[in-house]
Amino acid sequence: MARQPIVTEPIARSKPVPKRKKWRASFFTPWLFLLPSIVILGTFLAYPIIEAFHWSVLDYKIIADTGEYVGLANFREIFTDSTFWKAFVNTLLFLLIVLPLNVLLPMILAVLVNQKIRGVSTFRVLYYLPVVTPMVVGALMWKMLYSQNSMISQVLVWLGIFDSPTNLLVQSSTALVAVSMITVWKGLGYYMIIYLAGLQSIPKDVYESASIDGASVFQMFTRITFPMLMPSVTLVSVMTIIAGMKVFEEIALTTGGGPAGATTTLVMYIFDNFMSLDVSTASAAGLVLLIMAIGASLLQMKLTSKRENDLRA
Amino acid sequence: MKSKKRSQLIWLYALLLFITVITVGPFFITLLISLKSANEGIYTVLFPTDPTLANFIDSFAKADFGLYFLNTVIVTGIAIPLNLIFCSLAAYPLARMDFRGRSVVLALIISTMMVPFQLYMAPLFQLAGELGLRNSHIGLVVMQVSTAFGIYLMRQAFLRIPKELEESAYLDGASKFKVWYLVAIPLVKPTLVTLAIFTFMGTWGDYLWPLLNSTESSMYTLSIGLAQLSQNFDGANLKLISAASILTTIPTLLIFIWLQKYFISGATDGAVKG
Repeated sequence: MARQPIVTEPIARSKPVPKRKKWRASFFTPWLFLLPSIVILGTFLAYPIIEAFHWSVLDYKIIADTGEYVGLANFREIFTDSTFWKAFVNTLLFLLIVLPLNVLLPMILAVLVNQKIRGVSTFRVLYYLPVVTPMVVGALMWKMLYSQNSMISQVLVWLGIFDSPTNLLVQSSTALVAVSMITVWKGLGYYMIIYLAGLQSIPKDVYESASIDGASVFQMFTRITFPMLMPSVTLVSVMTIIAGMKVFEEIALTTGGGPAGATTTLVMYIFDNFMSLDVSTASAAGLVLLIMAIGASLLQMKLTSKRENDLRA
Repeated sequence: MKSKKRSQLIWLYALLLFITVITVGPFFITLLISLKSANEGIYTVLFPTDPTLANFIDSFAKADFGLYFLNTVIVTGIAIPLNLIFCSLAAYPLARMDFRGRSVVLALIISTMMVPFQLYMAPLFQLAGELGLRNSHIGLVVMQVSTAFGIYLMRQAFLRIPKELEESAYLDGASKFKVWYLVAIPLVKPTLVTLAIFTFMGTWGDYLWPLLNSTESSMYTLSIGLAQLSQNFDGANLKLISAASILTTIPTLLIFIWLQKYFISGATDGAVKG
Protein backbone atom coordinates (compact mmCIF):
# COMPACT_ATOMS: atom_id res chain seq x y z
CA MET A 1 0.00 0.00 0.00
CA ALA A 2 1.34 3.39 -0.98
CA ARG A 3 2.24 5.89 1.67
CA GLN A 4 -0.59 8.34 2.04
CA PRO A 5 -0.15 12.07 2.45
CA ILE A 6 -0.77 12.80 6.08
CA VAL A 7 -2.81 15.95 5.56
CA THR A 8 -5.66 14.14 3.82
CA GLU A 9 -6.60 12.28 6.98
CA PRO A 10 -9.49 13.46 9.13
CA ILE A 11 -7.35 14.87 11.83
CA ALA A 12 -9.33 17.88 10.67
CA ARG A 13 -10.68 18.26 14.17
CA SER A 14 -7.46 19.99 15.11
CA LYS A 15 -6.24 21.38 11.79
CA PRO A 16 -8.57 22.66 9.07
CA VAL A 17 -8.00 20.76 5.82
CA PRO A 18 -9.31 21.76 2.36
CA LYS A 19 -12.78 20.25 2.12
CA ARG A 20 -12.46 18.57 -1.29
CA LYS A 21 -9.28 16.73 -0.43
CA LYS A 22 -10.68 15.48 2.84
CA TRP A 23 -13.80 14.15 1.12
CA ARG A 24 -11.80 12.19 -1.43
CA ALA A 25 -9.56 10.59 1.14
CA SER A 26 -12.40 9.54 3.39
CA PHE A 27 -14.33 8.25 0.39
CA PHE A 28 -11.63 5.92 -0.88
CA THR A 29 -9.94 4.75 2.30
CA PRO A 30 -12.64 2.35 3.57
CA TRP A 31 -13.01 0.80 0.11
CA LEU A 32 -9.26 0.24 -0.14
CA PHE A 33 -9.41 -1.71 3.12
CA LEU A 34 -12.37 -3.69 1.82
CA LEU A 35 -11.03 -4.27 -1.69
CA PRO A 36 -9.25 -7.65 -1.32
CA SER A 37 -12.15 -9.24 0.53
CA ILE A 38 -14.75 -7.81 -1.84
CA VAL A 39 -12.84 -9.18 -4.85
CA ILE A 40 -12.39 -12.63 -3.27
CA LEU A 41 -15.86 -12.97 -1.77
CA GLY A 42 -17.43 -11.48 -4.88
CA THR A 43 -15.69 -13.97 -7.18
CA PHE A 44 -15.78 -17.16 -5.16
CA LEU A 45 -18.89 -16.67 -3.05
CA ALA A 46 -21.35 -14.12 -4.47
CA TYR A 47 -20.93 -15.10 -8.13
CA PRO A 48 -21.39 -18.87 -7.56
CA ILE A 49 -24.42 -18.20 -5.35
CA ILE A 50 -26.04 -16.08 -8.08
CA GLU A 51 -25.15 -18.76 -10.64
CA ALA A 52 -26.82 -21.40 -8.46
CA PHE A 53 -30.06 -19.38 -8.49
CA HIS A 54 -29.71 -19.05 -12.25
CA TRP A 55 -28.99 -22.74 -12.85
CA SER A 56 -32.04 -23.76 -10.83
CA VAL A 57 -34.32 -22.40 -13.60
CA LEU A 58 -32.19 -23.79 -16.44
CA ASP A 59 -31.64 -27.23 -17.82
CA TYR A 60 -27.95 -26.69 -17.34
CA LYS A 61 -25.31 -28.95 -18.87
CA ILE A 62 -22.10 -28.38 -17.00
CA ILE A 63 -19.78 -29.90 -19.63
CA ALA A 64 -21.34 -28.08 -22.60
CA ASP A 65 -21.62 -24.95 -20.41
CA THR A 66 -25.09 -24.14 -21.75
CA GLY A 67 -28.66 -24.54 -20.60
CA GLU A 68 -32.16 -23.74 -21.75
CA TYR A 69 -34.62 -21.86 -19.60
CA VAL A 70 -37.09 -24.35 -18.17
CA GLY A 71 -38.89 -22.27 -15.58
CA LEU A 72 -39.77 -24.16 -12.44
CA ALA A 73 -39.38 -27.60 -14.01
CA ASN A 74 -36.45 -28.51 -11.74
CA PHE A 75 -38.49 -27.72 -8.67
CA ARG A 76 -41.41 -29.73 -10.06
CA GLU A 77 -38.96 -32.56 -10.63
CA ILE A 78 -37.58 -32.65 -7.10
CA PHE A 79 -40.99 -32.18 -5.47
CA THR A 80 -42.31 -35.23 -7.32
CA ASP A 81 -39.14 -37.24 -6.66
CA SER A 82 -39.64 -39.73 -3.83
CA THR A 83 -35.84 -39.77 -3.23
CA PHE A 84 -35.97 -36.03 -2.52
CA TRP A 85 -38.76 -36.45 0.02
CA LYS A 86 -36.98 -39.37 1.63
CA ALA A 87 -33.88 -37.15 1.91
CA PHE A 88 -36.01 -34.34 3.35
CA VAL A 89 -37.54 -36.67 5.97
CA ASN A 90 -34.12 -38.17 6.76
CA THR A 91 -32.73 -34.69 7.38
CA LEU A 92 -35.55 -33.97 9.83
CA LEU A 93 -35.14 -37.38 11.49
CA PHE A 94 -31.42 -36.79 11.82
CA LEU A 95 -32.10 -33.46 13.57
CA LEU A 96 -34.71 -35.13 15.76
CA ILE A 97 -32.17 -37.71 16.95
CA VAL A 98 -29.25 -35.31 17.39
CA LEU A 99 -31.08 -32.35 18.95
CA PRO A 100 -32.08 -33.82 22.35
CA LEU A 101 -28.72 -35.57 22.73
CA ASN A 102 -26.80 -32.39 21.88
CA VAL A 103 -28.86 -30.41 24.37
CA LEU A 104 -28.62 -32.89 27.23
CA LEU A 105 -25.31 -34.76 27.11
CA PRO A 106 -22.98 -31.74 26.85
CA MET A 107 -24.95 -30.11 29.68
CA ILE A 108 -24.20 -33.09 31.92
CA LEU A 109 -20.55 -32.96 30.86
CA ALA A 110 -20.37 -29.25 31.63
CA VAL A 111 -21.81 -29.73 35.12
CA LEU A 112 -19.30 -32.52 35.74
CA VAL A 113 -16.22 -30.61 34.58
CA ASN A 114 -17.39 -27.51 36.48
CA GLN A 115 -16.80 -29.35 39.80
CA LYS A 116 -13.90 -28.08 41.84
CA ILE A 117 -12.00 -31.36 42.03
CA ARG A 118 -8.48 -32.40 41.18
CA GLY A 119 -7.69 -33.19 37.54
CA VAL A 120 -10.90 -31.76 36.18
CA SER A 121 -9.14 -29.53 33.62
CA THR A 122 -7.52 -32.64 32.13
CA PHE A 123 -10.97 -34.13 31.59
CA ARG A 124 -12.08 -30.92 29.88
CA VAL A 125 -9.22 -31.30 27.40
CA LEU A 126 -9.95 -35.00 26.86
CA TYR A 127 -13.62 -34.24 26.15
CA TYR A 128 -12.62 -31.59 23.62
CA LEU A 129 -10.39 -33.90 21.55
CA PRO A 130 -13.14 -35.08 19.15
CA VAL A 131 -13.89 -31.43 18.30
CA VAL A 132 -10.39 -30.82 16.97
CA THR A 133 -10.26 -34.12 15.08
CA PRO A 134 -10.73 -33.79 11.31
CA MET A 135 -14.21 -35.09 10.50
CA VAL A 136 -12.86 -37.54 7.92
CA VAL A 137 -10.78 -39.18 10.64
CA GLY A 138 -13.70 -39.23 13.07
CA ALA A 139 -15.97 -40.84 10.49
CA LEU A 140 -13.44 -43.54 9.57
CA MET A 141 -12.63 -44.36 13.21
CA TRP A 142 -16.32 -44.88 13.93
CA LYS A 143 -16.77 -46.91 10.77
CA MET A 144 -14.13 -49.28 12.13
CA LEU A 145 -15.79 -49.38 15.55
CA TYR A 146 -19.15 -50.20 13.98
CA SER A 147 -17.82 -53.06 11.89
CA GLN A 148 -19.35 -56.43 12.61
CA ASN A 149 -16.38 -57.89 14.47
CA SER A 150 -15.55 -54.76 16.41
CA MET A 151 -16.43 -53.30 19.80
CA ILE A 152 -19.85 -51.83 19.32
CA SER A 153 -21.50 -54.90 17.86
CA GLN A 154 -19.94 -57.05 20.59
CA VAL A 155 -21.21 -54.72 23.31
CA LEU A 156 -24.69 -54.80 21.78
CA VAL A 157 -24.68 -58.62 21.78
CA TRP A 158 -23.39 -58.62 25.37
CA LEU A 159 -26.19 -56.26 26.39
CA GLY A 160 -28.67 -58.60 24.72
CA ILE A 161 -29.88 -56.01 22.20
CA PHE A 162 -28.83 -58.17 19.23
CA ASP A 163 -28.59 -61.96 19.02
CA SER A 164 -25.65 -62.01 16.65
CA PRO A 165 -22.93 -59.45 15.82
CA THR A 166 -24.46 -56.71 13.67
CA ASN A 167 -22.99 -53.72 11.88
CA LEU A 168 -25.39 -50.89 12.68
CA LEU A 169 -24.29 -48.96 9.60
CA VAL A 170 -25.50 -51.59 7.13
CA GLN A 171 -28.97 -52.12 8.66
CA SER A 172 -31.44 -49.69 7.16
CA SER A 173 -33.34 -49.52 10.47
CA THR A 174 -30.29 -48.44 12.50
CA ALA A 175 -27.99 -46.69 10.00
CA LEU A 176 -29.34 -43.18 10.57
CA VAL A 177 -29.04 -43.52 14.35
CA ALA A 178 -25.53 -44.91 13.92
CA VAL A 179 -24.30 -41.96 11.83
CA SER A 180 -25.96 -39.42 14.11
CA MET A 181 -23.97 -40.86 17.04
CA ILE A 182 -20.80 -39.81 15.19
CA THR A 183 -22.13 -36.25 14.95
CA VAL A 184 -23.06 -36.23 18.64
CA TRP A 185 -19.64 -37.61 19.62
CA LYS A 186 -17.87 -34.91 17.58
CA GLY A 187 -19.91 -32.07 19.11
CA LEU A 188 -19.92 -33.12 22.80
CA GLY A 189 -16.89 -31.07 23.81
CA TYR A 190 -17.87 -28.02 21.79
CA TYR A 191 -21.33 -27.68 23.28
CA MET A 192 -19.88 -28.52 26.69
CA ILE A 193 -17.79 -25.33 26.46
CA ILE A 194 -20.88 -23.30 25.53
CA TYR A 195 -22.68 -24.67 28.59
CA LEU A 196 -19.62 -24.13 30.76
CA ALA A 197 -19.67 -20.43 29.87
CA GLY A 198 -23.35 -20.38 30.82
CA LEU A 199 -22.68 -22.21 34.11
CA GLN A 200 -19.91 -19.84 35.08
CA SER A 201 -22.20 -16.86 34.66
CA ILE A 202 -24.56 -18.19 37.36
CA PRO A 203 -23.80 -16.29 40.60
CA LYS A 204 -22.35 -18.52 43.34
CA ASP A 205 -24.42 -17.08 46.18
CA VAL A 206 -27.60 -18.52 44.65
CA TYR A 207 -26.27 -22.00 45.38
CA GLU A 208 -25.01 -20.98 48.80
CA SER A 209 -28.37 -19.72 49.97
CA ALA A 210 -30.07 -22.77 48.45
CA SER A 211 -27.80 -25.13 50.36
CA ILE A 212 -28.41 -23.19 53.57
CA ASP A 213 -32.12 -23.74 52.96
CA GLY A 214 -31.35 -27.46 52.72
CA ALA A 215 -31.76 -28.05 48.97
CA SER A 216 -30.32 -31.31 47.63
CA VAL A 217 -27.86 -31.47 44.74
CA PHE A 218 -30.61 -32.73 42.47
CA GLN A 219 -32.96 -29.93 43.51
CA MET A 220 -30.26 -27.37 42.91
CA PHE A 221 -29.81 -28.71 39.39
CA THR A 222 -33.51 -28.74 38.47
CA ARG A 223 -34.44 -25.50 40.25
CA ILE A 224 -31.37 -23.34 39.68
CA THR A 225 -28.90 -24.70 37.14
CA PHE A 226 -31.31 -25.84 34.47
CA PRO A 227 -33.49 -22.69 34.36
CA MET A 228 -30.44 -20.44 34.45
CA LEU A 229 -28.96 -22.37 31.51
CA MET A 230 -31.93 -21.75 29.24
CA PRO A 231 -30.10 -19.16 27.08
CA SER A 232 -27.34 -21.73 26.45
CA VAL A 233 -29.97 -24.36 25.63
CA THR A 234 -31.40 -22.05 22.97
CA LEU A 235 -27.96 -21.38 21.54
CA VAL A 236 -27.00 -25.07 21.44
CA SER A 237 -30.33 -26.01 19.85
CA VAL A 238 -30.09 -23.48 17.04
CA MET A 239 -26.43 -24.27 16.38
CA THR A 240 -27.29 -27.97 16.24
CA ILE A 241 -30.07 -27.34 13.74
CA ILE A 242 -27.90 -25.13 11.51
CA ALA A 243 -24.94 -27.53 11.59
CA GLY A 244 -27.11 -30.65 11.39
CA MET A 245 -28.73 -29.60 8.12
CA LYS A 246 -25.29 -29.51 6.50
CA VAL A 247 -23.99 -32.83 7.83
CA PHE A 248 -21.94 -34.55 5.13
CA GLU A 249 -18.67 -36.34 5.99
CA GLU A 250 -20.17 -38.59 8.67
CA ILE A 251 -22.55 -39.95 6.05
CA ALA A 252 -20.51 -39.78 2.85
CA LEU A 253 -17.61 -41.72 4.38
CA THR A 254 -19.55 -44.32 6.35
CA THR A 255 -22.70 -45.29 4.50
CA GLY A 256 -22.56 -43.07 1.39
CA GLY A 257 -26.29 -42.49 1.89
CA GLY A 258 -27.21 -46.17 2.02
CA PRO A 259 -28.36 -48.77 2.73
CA ALA A 260 -31.21 -48.20 0.28
CA GLY A 261 -31.26 -44.45 0.90
CA ALA A 262 -31.71 -44.85 4.66
CA THR A 263 -29.08 -42.18 5.37
CA THR A 264 -29.55 -40.01 2.29
CA THR A 265 -30.01 -36.50 3.66
CA LEU A 266 -30.68 -33.36 1.62
CA VAL A 267 -26.97 -32.65 1.37
CA MET A 268 -26.30 -36.20 0.16
CA TYR A 269 -29.12 -35.78 -2.36
CA ILE A 270 -27.52 -32.58 -3.67
CA PHE A 271 -24.11 -34.26 -3.76
CA ASP A 272 -25.42 -37.32 -5.63
CA ASN A 273 -27.14 -35.12 -8.22
CA PHE A 274 -23.98 -33.09 -8.69
CA MET A 275 -21.92 -36.26 -9.12
CA SER A 276 -24.29 -37.44 -11.85
CA LEU A 277 -23.84 -33.94 -13.41
CA ASP A 278 -27.49 -33.07 -12.82
CA VAL A 279 -26.45 -29.64 -11.55
CA SER A 280 -29.76 -27.90 -12.16
CA THR A 281 -31.57 -30.41 -9.94
CA ALA A 282 -28.79 -30.02 -7.40
CA SER A 283 -29.22 -26.21 -7.49
CA ALA A 284 -32.98 -26.48 -6.99
CA ALA A 285 -32.49 -28.81 -4.01
CA GLY A 286 -29.77 -26.45 -2.77
CA LEU A 287 -32.29 -23.62 -2.72
CA VAL A 288 -34.61 -25.73 -0.56
CA LEU A 289 -31.70 -26.22 1.82
CA LEU A 290 -31.03 -22.46 1.76
CA ILE A 291 -34.64 -21.71 2.69
CA MET A 292 -34.34 -24.11 5.62
CA ALA A 293 -31.08 -22.44 6.69
CA ILE A 294 -32.68 -19.00 6.51
CA GLY A 295 -35.59 -20.29 8.58
CA ALA A 296 -33.20 -21.57 11.24
CA SER A 297 -31.29 -18.28 11.27
CA LEU A 298 -34.50 -16.26 11.64
CA LEU A 299 -35.48 -18.54 14.51
CA GLN A 300 -32.14 -17.85 16.11
CA MET A 301 -32.48 -14.08 15.70
CA LYS A 302 -35.94 -14.21 17.22
CA LEU A 303 -34.84 -16.34 20.15
CA THR A 304 -31.66 -14.39 20.89
CA SER A 305 -33.39 -11.00 20.72
CA LYS A 306 -36.05 -12.38 23.05
CA ARG A 307 -33.26 -13.48 25.34
CA GLU A 308 -31.77 -9.99 25.34
CA ASN A 309 -35.17 -8.52 26.16
CA ASP A 310 -35.53 -11.00 29.01
CA LEU A 311 -32.17 -9.96 30.36
CA ARG A 312 -33.09 -6.30 30.16
CA ALA A 313 -36.43 -6.82 31.88
CA MET B 1 -20.71 -37.51 56.46
CA LYS B 2 -17.12 -37.69 55.33
CA SER B 3 -17.42 -41.24 53.97
CA LYS B 4 -20.51 -40.21 52.04
CA LYS B 5 -18.56 -37.41 50.45
CA ARG B 6 -15.80 -39.81 49.60
CA SER B 7 -18.09 -42.27 47.86
CA GLN B 8 -19.66 -39.38 45.94
CA LEU B 9 -16.22 -38.39 44.76
CA ILE B 10 -15.46 -41.92 43.61
CA TRP B 11 -18.69 -42.01 41.61
CA LEU B 12 -17.85 -38.65 40.09
CA TYR B 13 -14.43 -39.84 38.92
CA ALA B 14 -15.91 -43.10 37.64
CA LEU B 15 -18.38 -41.10 35.54
CA LEU B 16 -15.63 -38.77 34.29
CA LEU B 17 -13.53 -41.77 33.28
CA PHE B 18 -16.46 -43.48 31.55
CA ILE B 19 -17.02 -40.37 29.40
CA THR B 20 -13.29 -40.28 28.66
CA VAL B 21 -13.57 -43.82 27.30
CA ILE B 22 -16.25 -42.59 24.89
CA THR B 23 -14.45 -39.43 23.74
CA VAL B 24 -10.87 -40.76 23.62
CA GLY B 25 -11.54 -44.50 23.17
CA PRO B 26 -11.85 -44.34 19.36
CA PHE B 27 -8.41 -42.70 19.08
CA PHE B 28 -6.90 -45.29 21.39
CA ILE B 29 -8.35 -48.23 19.45
CA THR B 30 -7.29 -46.68 16.13
CA LEU B 31 -3.77 -46.19 17.49
CA LEU B 32 -3.64 -49.83 18.61
CA ILE B 33 -4.80 -51.06 15.18
CA SER B 34 -2.21 -48.87 13.47
CA LEU B 35 0.55 -50.55 15.52
CA LYS B 36 -0.43 -54.11 14.62
CA SER B 37 1.86 -56.18 12.46
CA ALA B 38 0.93 -57.67 9.11
CA ASN B 39 -0.30 -61.10 10.20
CA GLU B 40 -2.20 -59.97 13.25
CA GLY B 41 -6.02 -59.92 13.31
CA ILE B 42 -7.58 -56.48 13.53
CA TYR B 43 -10.35 -57.21 15.98
CA THR B 44 -9.26 -60.52 17.52
CA VAL B 45 -7.18 -58.96 20.30
CA LEU B 46 -7.19 -55.37 21.49
CA PHE B 47 -3.47 -54.91 22.08
CA PRO B 48 -0.89 -55.60 19.38
CA THR B 49 1.28 -58.55 20.43
CA ASP B 50 4.12 -57.46 18.18
CA PRO B 51 3.86 -53.64 17.88
CA THR B 52 5.38 -52.17 14.72
CA LEU B 53 5.62 -48.84 12.91
CA ALA B 54 5.44 -50.60 9.54
CA ASN B 55 1.98 -49.20 8.78
CA PHE B 56 3.18 -45.64 9.28
CA ILE B 57 6.15 -46.27 7.00
CA ASP B 58 3.84 -47.89 4.44
CA SER B 59 1.52 -44.90 4.46
CA PHE B 60 4.45 -42.79 3.25
CA ALA B 61 6.07 -45.39 1.02
CA LYS B 62 3.05 -47.03 -0.59
CA ALA B 63 0.20 -44.59 -0.14
CA ASP B 64 1.90 -41.25 -0.89
CA PHE B 65 0.93 -39.69 2.41
CA GLY B 66 4.13 -37.65 2.43
CA LEU B 67 2.86 -35.76 -0.62
CA TYR B 68 -0.65 -35.36 0.81
CA PHE B 69 0.86 -34.09 4.04
CA LEU B 70 2.94 -31.54 2.12
CA ASN B 71 -0.11 -30.41 0.09
CA THR B 72 -2.12 -29.94 3.27
CA VAL B 73 0.68 -27.96 4.91
CA ILE B 74 1.02 -25.72 1.82
CA VAL B 75 -2.72 -25.11 1.60
CA THR B 76 -3.00 -24.31 5.30
CA GLY B 77 0.12 -22.15 5.09
CA ILE B 78 -1.46 -20.05 2.32
CA ALA B 79 -4.89 -19.82 3.92
CA ILE B 80 -4.00 -18.68 7.44
CA PRO B 81 -1.93 -15.53 6.73
CA LEU B 82 -4.15 -14.40 3.84
CA ASN B 83 -7.35 -14.87 5.81
CA LEU B 84 -5.94 -12.98 8.80
CA ILE B 85 -4.76 -10.05 6.65
CA PHE B 86 -7.81 -9.74 4.39
CA CYS B 87 -10.37 -10.22 7.16
CA SER B 88 -8.77 -7.76 9.55
CA LEU B 89 -8.38 -5.24 6.70
CA ALA B 90 -12.02 -5.54 5.67
CA ALA B 91 -13.31 -5.57 9.23
CA TYR B 92 -11.60 -2.34 10.21
CA PRO B 93 -13.63 0.19 8.19
CA LEU B 94 -16.77 -1.81 8.99
CA ALA B 95 -16.07 -1.25 12.66
CA ARG B 96 -14.45 2.16 12.73
CA MET B 97 -15.12 4.30 9.65
CA ASP B 98 -18.28 6.11 8.71
CA PHE B 99 -18.96 5.77 5.00
CA ARG B 100 -21.86 5.45 2.66
CA GLY B 101 -22.77 1.82 2.00
CA ARG B 102 -21.24 0.46 5.19
CA SER B 103 -24.40 -1.13 6.52
CA VAL B 104 -25.19 -2.65 3.11
CA VAL B 105 -21.73 -4.22 2.81
CA LEU B 106 -21.92 -5.52 6.36
CA ALA B 107 -25.40 -6.99 5.88
CA LEU B 108 -24.35 -8.68 2.62
CA ILE B 109 -21.25 -10.23 4.20
CA ILE B 110 -23.09 -11.47 7.27
CA SER B 111 -25.99 -12.89 5.26
CA THR B 112 -23.62 -15.06 3.19
CA MET B 113 -22.71 -16.90 6.38
CA MET B 114 -25.97 -18.81 6.34
CA VAL B 115 -25.73 -19.93 2.70
CA PRO B 116 -24.89 -23.65 2.64
CA PHE B 117 -21.80 -24.52 0.61
CA GLN B 118 -23.72 -27.31 -1.13
CA LEU B 119 -25.90 -24.70 -2.86
CA TYR B 120 -23.06 -23.12 -4.82
CA MET B 121 -20.44 -25.86 -5.01
CA ALA B 122 -21.35 -26.77 -8.60
CA PRO B 123 -21.01 -23.22 -10.00
CA LEU B 124 -17.84 -22.77 -7.94
CA PHE B 125 -16.47 -26.02 -9.36
CA GLN B 126 -17.07 -24.77 -12.87
CA LEU B 127 -15.63 -21.32 -12.12
CA ALA B 128 -12.47 -22.88 -10.67
CA GLY B 129 -12.09 -24.85 -13.89
CA GLU B 130 -12.52 -21.75 -16.07
CA LEU B 131 -10.01 -19.78 -14.02
CA GLY B 132 -7.45 -22.60 -14.25
CA LEU B 133 -7.62 -23.29 -10.52
CA ARG B 134 -8.47 -26.98 -10.81
CA ASN B 135 -5.77 -29.17 -9.23
CA SER B 136 -3.85 -26.23 -7.78
CA HIS B 137 -3.04 -25.20 -4.24
CA ILE B 138 -4.62 -21.78 -4.76
CA GLY B 139 -7.75 -23.48 -6.06
CA LEU B 140 -8.03 -25.46 -2.84
CA VAL B 141 -8.04 -22.38 -0.62
CA VAL B 142 -10.35 -20.00 -2.51
CA MET B 143 -12.99 -20.53 0.18
CA GLN B 144 -10.57 -19.86 3.04
CA VAL B 145 -8.52 -16.80 2.01
CA SER B 146 -11.19 -14.34 3.04
CA THR B 147 -14.21 -15.49 4.96
CA ALA B 148 -17.41 -13.75 5.99
CA PHE B 149 -17.08 -15.35 9.41
CA GLY B 150 -13.54 -14.00 9.78
CA ILE B 151 -14.64 -10.48 8.88
CA TYR B 152 -17.47 -10.72 11.39
CA LEU B 153 -15.15 -12.03 14.11
CA MET B 154 -12.53 -9.31 13.52
CA ARG B 155 -15.15 -6.58 13.41
CA GLN B 156 -16.43 -7.66 16.82
CA ALA B 157 -12.86 -7.52 18.12
CA PHE B 158 -12.26 -3.99 16.75
CA LEU B 159 -15.54 -2.82 18.26
CA ARG B 160 -14.42 -4.03 21.69
CA ILE B 161 -11.17 -2.01 21.84
CA PRO B 162 -11.32 1.58 23.13
CA LYS B 163 -11.31 4.30 20.46
CA GLU B 164 -9.08 6.72 22.36
CA LEU B 165 -5.78 5.10 21.38
CA GLU B 166 -6.57 5.30 17.67
CA GLU B 167 -7.82 8.87 17.99
CA SER B 168 -4.65 10.05 19.65
CA ALA B 169 -2.65 8.39 16.87
CA TYR B 170 -4.66 10.37 14.30
CA LEU B 171 -3.89 13.55 16.19
CA ASP B 172 -0.23 12.66 15.94
CA GLY B 173 -0.72 12.64 12.17
CA ALA B 174 -0.77 8.91 11.38
CA SER B 175 -2.69 7.63 8.34
CA LYS B 176 -5.65 5.25 8.62
CA PHE B 177 -3.53 2.38 7.38
CA LYS B 178 -0.80 3.14 9.91
CA VAL B 179 -3.32 3.34 12.74
CA TRP B 180 -4.79 0.01 11.66
CA TYR B 181 -1.41 -1.62 11.49
CA LEU B 182 0.37 -0.04 14.45
CA VAL B 183 -2.44 0.60 16.92
CA ALA B 184 -5.51 -1.53 16.21
CA ILE B 185 -3.94 -4.82 15.09
CA PRO B 186 -1.76 -5.29 18.20
CA LEU B 187 -4.87 -4.81 20.34
CA VAL B 188 -6.82 -7.61 18.64
CA LYS B 189 -4.03 -10.22 18.69
CA PRO B 190 -6.01 -12.77 20.75
CA THR B 191 -8.82 -12.70 18.17
CA LEU B 192 -6.27 -13.09 15.38
CA VAL B 193 -5.07 -16.27 17.09
CA THR B 194 -8.68 -17.46 17.34
CA LEU B 195 -9.23 -16.76 13.65
CA ALA B 196 -5.98 -18.52 12.79
CA ILE B 197 -7.25 -21.57 14.66
CA PHE B 198 -10.61 -21.48 12.87
CA THR B 199 -8.84 -21.16 9.53
CA PHE B 200 -6.47 -23.99 10.38
CA MET B 201 -9.32 -26.29 11.41
CA GLY B 202 -11.37 -25.34 8.36
CA THR B 203 -8.51 -25.93 5.93
CA TRP B 204 -6.68 -28.87 7.45
CA GLY B 205 -9.73 -31.10 7.66
CA ASP B 206 -11.68 -29.68 4.73
CA TYR B 207 -13.18 -32.50 2.70
CA LEU B 208 -15.93 -31.62 0.25
CA TRP B 209 -14.24 -28.84 -1.73
CA PRO B 210 -10.85 -30.61 -2.10
CA LEU B 211 -12.78 -33.73 -3.09
CA LEU B 212 -14.32 -31.81 -6.00
CA ASN B 213 -11.38 -29.64 -7.00
CA SER B 214 -8.52 -32.14 -6.69
CA THR B 215 -9.16 -34.63 -9.46
CA GLU B 216 -5.51 -35.67 -9.70
CA SER B 217 -3.95 -37.61 -6.86
CA SER B 218 -0.90 -35.33 -6.91
CA MET B 219 -3.14 -32.58 -5.49
CA TYR B 220 -4.82 -34.64 -2.77
CA THR B 221 -4.86 -33.33 0.76
CA LEU B 222 -4.71 -35.66 3.77
CA SER B 223 -8.51 -35.83 4.02
CA ILE B 224 -8.88 -36.84 0.39
CA GLY B 225 -5.99 -39.29 0.53
CA LEU B 226 -7.56 -40.88 3.58
CA ALA B 227 -10.99 -41.04 1.97
CA GLN B 228 -9.55 -42.63 -1.17
CA LEU B 229 -7.63 -45.14 0.95
CA SER B 230 -10.84 -46.06 2.77
CA GLN B 231 -12.52 -47.07 -0.49
CA ASN B 232 -10.99 -50.46 0.25
CA PHE B 233 -12.20 -50.88 3.82
CA ASP B 234 -11.02 -54.32 4.86
CA GLY B 235 -8.19 -56.58 5.86
CA ALA B 236 -4.69 -55.22 5.93
CA ASN B 237 -5.84 -51.87 4.56
CA LEU B 238 -7.50 -51.01 7.87
CA LYS B 239 -4.11 -50.89 9.55
CA LEU B 240 -2.91 -48.47 6.88
CA ILE B 241 -6.08 -46.37 7.26
CA SER B 242 -5.53 -46.28 11.02
CA ALA B 243 -1.93 -45.17 10.65
CA ALA B 244 -2.92 -42.46 8.15
CA SER B 245 -5.75 -41.32 10.44
CA ILE B 246 -3.33 -40.91 13.32
CA LEU B 247 -0.90 -39.00 11.07
CA THR B 248 -3.68 -36.66 9.93
CA THR B 249 -4.77 -35.98 13.50
CA ILE B 250 -1.36 -35.45 15.17
CA PRO B 251 -0.79 -31.87 13.88
CA THR B 252 -4.25 -30.75 14.99
CA LEU B 253 -3.68 -32.33 18.41
CA LEU B 254 -0.31 -30.62 18.80
CA ILE B 255 -1.78 -27.24 17.90
CA PHE B 256 -4.69 -27.85 20.23
CA ILE B 257 -2.36 -28.66 23.13
CA TRP B 258 -0.22 -25.62 22.31
CA LEU B 259 -3.08 -23.08 21.99
CA GLN B 260 -5.65 -24.69 24.29
CA LYS B 261 -7.00 -21.55 25.91
CA TYR B 262 -7.60 -19.90 22.54
CA PHE B 263 -9.55 -22.95 21.38
CA ILE B 264 -11.77 -22.68 24.42
CA SER B 265 -12.34 -18.92 24.22
CA GLY B 266 -12.74 -19.23 20.44
CA ALA B 267 -15.52 -21.78 20.88
CA THR B 268 -17.68 -19.22 22.66
CA ASP B 269 -16.65 -16.40 20.28
CA GLY B 270 -17.71 -18.49 17.31
CA ALA B 271 -20.95 -19.48 18.98
CA VAL B 272 -22.46 -16.02 19.02
CA LYS B 273 -22.28 -15.84 15.24
CA GLY B 274 -24.87 -18.53 14.43
